Formats: sequence, structure tokens, C-alpha cells
Amino acid sequence: MATMNDMPDHIDELLTAYLDGELRPGELQLVTVHLDGCSNCILAFHELKETRAALRSLPMLRAPESLVPHGHDEIQLSAYLDGELPTTEYRLVFDHLQECADCRANLHELDAARTAIRSLPGLDPPEFLMPASRRVEHKWPAVQVRVAAVAAVAAVAALVVGVRSFPNTAPVSIDLDSFANRHVARASVEPGFQVIPAVHSGGSHP
Amino acid sequence: MSDDLIPTWEDVARSYGRKIYNFAYRLTGNRDDASDLVQEVLLRVRKGLASYTPGSFEGWLWRITRNAFLDSVRKAKRRPTSPLPDDDRISLVSSPSPDEVLASVRLSEDIQSALLKLPLDFRECVVLCDVVGLSYEEIANAVDIPVGTVRSRIHRGRKMLRGLLTWPL
Ligand SMILES: [Zn+2]
Ligand SMILES: [Zn+2]
Repeated sequence: MATMNDMPDHIDELLTAYLDGELRPGELQLVTVHLDGCSNCILAFHELKETRAALRSLPMLRAPESLVPHGHDEIQLSAYLDGELPTTEYRLVFDHLQECADCRANLHELDAARTAIRSLPGLDPPEFLMPASRRVEHKWPAVQVRVAAVAAVAAVAALVVGVRSFPNTAPVSIDLDSFANRHVARASVEPGFQVIPAVHSGGSHP
Repeated sequence: MSDDLIPTWEDVARSYGRKIYNFAYRLTGNRDDASDLVQEVLLRVRKGLASYTPGSFEGWLWRITRNAFLDSVRKAKRRPTSPLPDDDRISLVSSPSPDEVLASVRLSEDIQSALLKLPLDFRECVVLCDVVGLSYEEIANAVDIPVGTVRSRIHRGRKMLRGLLTWPL
């Protein structure tokens, strides 16, 4: 702390602008040259960086549904299903599901599709669908995998569970519990995952 | 949102409602106040869209938001407010409580209550930058101060915040 206060304010301030990518032309040179020879400023820089990171780690809360129309976001539901949401987000989705029949129905379809997809044998996709570089690694970005999963809903869900809509009746709440348990189970196995917002590769599933 | 299109009121609510809510919540530490502000801002946006001319939409929106916030602060001076954050407390009944979860909850509570101790001028700029995600120029536009002042307020605000936080980083 003392280090930060010992510094001339203008250099100090440049460090903040540097962190935010808000330096004016010419200032970058000044900062980098100064940082090269001043251990106080290097320390101060790290302190500012940590403080900024802490601020930016504050969860984005969801406004009440009654105020802000939401998008019934499918990707969010997938993340929820996969236990990939940080705890605060998870609670919001969970609460939303209690109230929103549309999203509950979507969740069930996604779940059925996911189960179906995972039960499929691991065949290689046709060559022409796979870019050369990816053919080797079999590693798609998570979002792409999810989009593919959603796209497969109609076909696979129809195949396995039959095309039907899910009524919003009693069994739903039981199923919500099972989703919750999945989240809990995952949390107890991977204590870190609740804290850090989902950063994951497509291949992390068991 | 592109600058040369005039969004509908619903677009604004859908695209910015959550940000406005978080802006207000981080400034006040109170969910009800945050909800009130979202309502008020959307009301003003609805009225204002009629006379809105395409330009910097973000600047326009956040100027409205900020003015609505300042009006609510003036009003609130007449009634007692709770200085403590009433949220970020996650109900842990249905899930296990690994230390990390508790630590992260505690951390965001600490940050929130430290934020509330900053002078409003600093708090506002820090929240617009770190919670809402505006650039210095957009903040300058919204708050109606020079960019250099934005920079110094963000810097001093974060630095002060650092001093208020007790956790060892
Ligand atoms: Zn220095
Ligand atoms: Zn919904």
C-alpha cells in the first residue's frame, strides 16, 4: 500500500489507463520505459490490476423478470444442464425455471437430446465436414458443440423420445431437483468450478 | 447496437435492462432501489425515444440512467436508507458449501460494501467502467466531464477501494 502512495500521481494514473487500454498516444512509451526501471511502480501496477480484476469479478445479477424481458436463452440452458454455470448464475436460471414453462420445456428437450447424443457411438463425422486441422484434434470450441447439439435436437429427440411437448405438470419439479443434484454433484467433485465462470473446452465432459 | 438505428423500447429493455440494473445495484447495494431505477430509466427512455436522433446511443442511454439515479439519490436523502448490501448472499441450502464458494461470496460482499464507501463521483465512474463496461470516452459522455477527469476518478476510486479491502491479495 505504501508503495502506491509514494508515487507521483501522474505516473500512477497512467498505470490505470494502461490497464484499461486507455492511454493516449505517446503515453505507452512513457509507461513501459518507466516500468522498466521502477520496482515500486511494478508493484503498484500489480495491485491496481488485482483490484480491477476483483471489481470485474462481481457477478452480473439478473434483473427481475417483471422489469426486463429475457431472451429464454438456449445456450444458458445448455450450460445449466451441463453444470457449467457459476453458482450465482445457476440460482438465477433455477429460479427462472420455477416460473417459466417455456424454458422448462426447452430444458427437457435439451436434456433428452443430450442423453440421446451421448448414447450414440463415437463415429467420425464425414471427412468433408471436418476442416483438416480439426480432424486431427477432434476438439471443437464449446459454443460450436452446443450449437451442434441444439441443431440435433429435432432429429435425435424425435428418434429417441418421440416428438411430443412436455406438459408443465408435477413431474417437472422432480426433474428440476435432479438437475440441481447434478450441479451439486459436480460442484463437490470440482470445487473450483463454481467460483470461476465457465471457461472450458468442448472435450471436458466425462 | 448500431449507432444509426433507433432501437425500440423493448430492444432497450432487453439489451440494457440487466446492465442498468447492475449499475444501480452496485451503486446502491440495494435490490429494490435497483429495480426502481430500471423502471424509471425505461420510462424515460420510452418518452425520450420519440425525440431521439441517431447518434451515440450508449452516451444517450447512460446519461438518462445517471440522471435518473441522481434524482433518486436526491429523493432518498429524505428517507433513511440501509447502508449494508442486502444481496450477493447465495442461499446455500441446496448445495454444498466449498470454501471457494463462501470465499467468493464474501469477496463480492466486501467489494460491494467498499464500493458504497467511495465518494459518489468515484463510485459512479468505477461502476460504469468495471461493471457496465463503458470506455473512458463513453463515461465522459454519460457523466458530462472531460476524459481526463474520468481517468483520474477511476484511478483514485480503485485505489481507494484497494485501501478499503482488507483481504490479502
Ligand atoms: Zn515508478
Ligand atoms: Zn423463460
